Amino acid sequence: MCQAVRRPGVTAVVSSRGYKGDAPDDNKADLIEIPLPPWMEKTDEPVDIKRRRLLYESRKRGMLENCILLSLFAKRYLNTMTASQLQQYDRLINEPSNDWDIYYWATEAQPTPEVYQGEVMEMLKEFTKNKNHEQRLDAPSLEYLEKEAQ
Amino acid sequence: MATVSAASRLLSKRVLSNTKAVPAAAVQGYRSFHFSIYGKKKNAKVADDISTQYPVVDHEFDAVVVGAGGAGLRAAFGLSEAGFNTACVTKLFPTRSHTVAAQGGINAALGNMEEDDWRWHFYDTVKGSDWLGDQDAIHYMTEQAPAAVVELENFGMPFSRTEEGKIYQRAFGGQSLKYGKGGQAHRCCCVADRTGHSLLHTLYGRSLRYDTSYFVEYFALDLLMEDGECKGVIALCMEDGSIHRFRAQNTVIATGGYGRTYFSCTSAHTSTGDGNAMVTRAGLPCQDMEFVQFHPTGIYGAGCLITEGCRGEGGILINSEGERFMERYAPNAKDLASRDVVSRSMTIEIREGRGVGPEKDHVYLQLHHLPPQQLAARLPGISETAMIFAGVDVTKEPIPVLPTVHYNMGGIPTNYKGQVIDHTNGEDKVVPGLYACGEAACASVHGANRLGANSLLDLVVFGRACALTIAEEHKPGEKLSPLKSSAGEASVANLDKLRFANGNLRTSEIRLNMQKGMQNHAAVFRTGSVLKEGCDKLDDIYQSMEKIKTFDRGIVWNTDLVESLELQNLMLNAVQTINSAEQRKESRGAHAREDFKVSPQISKFFSYTCETLFTRSLFIFILSFFFENLLVS
Repeated sequence: MCQAVRRPGVTAVVSSRGYKGDAPDDNKADLIEIPLPPWMEKTDEPVDIKRRRLLYESRKRGMLENCILLSLFAKRYLNTMTASQLQQYDRLINEPSNDWDIYYWATEAQPTPEVYQGEVMEMLKEFTKNKNHEQRLDAPSLEYLEKEAQ
Repeated sequence: MATVSAASRLLSKRVLSNTKAVPAAAVQGYRSFHFSIYGKKKNAKVADDISTQYPVVDHEFDAVVVGAGGAGLRAAFGLSEAGFNTACVTKLFPTRSHTVAAQGGINAALGNMEEDDWRWHFYDTVKGSDWLGDQDAIHYMTEQAPAAVVELENFGMPFSRTEEGKIYQRAFGGQSLKYGKGGQAHRCCCVADRTGHSLLHTLYGRSLRYDTSYFVEYFALDLLMEDGECKGVIALCMEDGSIHRFRAQNTVIATGGYGRTYFSCTSAHTSTGDGNAMVTRAGLPCQDMEFVQFHPTGIYGAGCLITEGCRGEGGILINSEGERFMERYAPNAKDLASRDVVSRSMTIEIREGRGVGPEKDHVYLQLHHLPPQQLAARLPGISETAMIFAGVDVTKEPIPVLPTVHYNMGGIPTNYKGQVIDHTNGEDKVVPGLYACGEAACASVHGANRLGANSLLDLVVFGRACALTIAEEHKPGEKLSPLKSSAGEASVANLDKLRFANGNLRTSEIRLNMQKGMQNHAAVFRTGSVLKEGCDKLDDIYQSMEKIKTFDRGIVWNTDLVESLELQNLMLNAVQTINSAEQRKESRGAHAREDFKVSPQISKFFSYTCETLFTRSLFIFILSFFFENLLVS
């Protein structure tokens, strides 16, 4: 394959959470020294608007794993959540600054901080385990909302 | 640039048309609402000019940045630091931009692990780009790299350290010393495994101290262009459905890539090429769209990246016959051959009918022959990801994988200063008021193929370059050039048309057709006939956008509408990509043509040489014949 000879070898030693021993220690100095404005809950938002907002915010995440996981989770649970569950979910997906953290907590790769522990976190963890071995090929299209509305 | 003009000529015939006004019965009625404006700027006013059905708020800024990822935040921060009244319009909260997914690092020739020189990095990048990269831009990027990393570190980014306290640098693919002759270089600076997140956090936090105005969850619809000059952006506020026009002397586009045009990609669902589409609708060209980088192992369907480390630990790729097929394609390196070789091998296996699954359209990555302790210790993340997204237990079954779209080298053409350029009458001309940086731009530092860890560097250097160029050429508080009061009307009309669209094809159907079309016709291996077929198919799918159907008629947090707008943007990117791929009749970097294996430059050289040699030898033969005759006589 003459192209292989011409092309540079790009065998990358990709650092990823799945490759231990390669990632040096993290002192999290930026999180301590550069505090971001605190997340504010929207107290006077009607429940149906909140559901619509959380649907958008579940589907549009920082990386693919969360996009798929949270949009499937939202499809299953968002429309039947109570007001207090919605509040918990809102905090869970909007307050943490690093999207990977939400993924690690859901997959139980890292312990969930106390402030996010609760009913909704348990639901998410259980959902993530995928006990029914469902194929999670992609985020669902929005058809299900249309069907539910009918 | 022939590719560019062909694609843009094609598209100029298909600009989305203005529609007739929506009948009164369909209008929801004027709802009163409350909207809040970030920052202390009091210069926002409601305008009645465009449409009474969509209340429009006008803002005036010195600069507006579209996109709040690594490049957008760096540009916004640089501009605010220089004293410009800056707005940053983003459809996502800044720390949720796709940059957060980056876990690799930033390449810079700091020389902390061994002696290093930016010229070696320059050589590696030029060679990695298959000599298509713009050497001015690459020179700028690699020379500025150490300064850019040190600057980030001064802003507070906690890079990982060596024992002596210097920034720790690790090895990464494609980086060498002494122009490729000195072995592996260690140039990649990282913040543990969250470099992307740390970059976003640091830049966002710092920019707030300079009073940048963030318009979060505002979807940018179009550029406000007048007389070939960019005068701002028009955007939809998702929270209350109002339209906002951001007038500014300088607009920076940093909207990221367009991986979502393909069925299988590693990008989040937010990578929809919004900036590229905005520029296309403004009548400007895009560059190098055919260069799409494929990573060999993404989970089939989901597209989540399975790190190369799996194969490094002993994982193997197998086909439907259970054969370790890489042994045939790369007898020595086998499964650890370079990314493009592995991607091509996998694609050949699938094309020849040895794919797995009901549609025989992917291959398997087998890990269950490895000891479970090794899997748990060295590759824990893989087990989780495989279970969650493929429903597969890696200790018992293989993971379905497919070469997956990972990065877009192409985008909005800029010079090394970040200014967007247009190519007219054979010359490059700067578009006044418009800049681009990051994955959305094509400076081009990555050319035909990107090296790992160069992308985060690209974001930071060119985000900074845009800010510096604007600061050099403009002053804060400059008077804005006049803009027609009806600017942006077409965008609002399009929005309205989509919101009440009642055809017969759902957004998700058209999107799936486009994605499957691209995956089948413009994937790893490309052939003329398949590409031509694909161009026609994508054309039809593009036309089918006229029959789109949306179901959500609301205007507040209308996800269906936003996804339809994103689909419009994706379509423009897809059509340009496949047409460019069909036009480029050579194999270069990530663009591999089965029917044009050798570059035409090389074949032209050979044919010229042969022709010359032949002519010369004929001449000598005739001369010798004459001399012989003379001698004889």
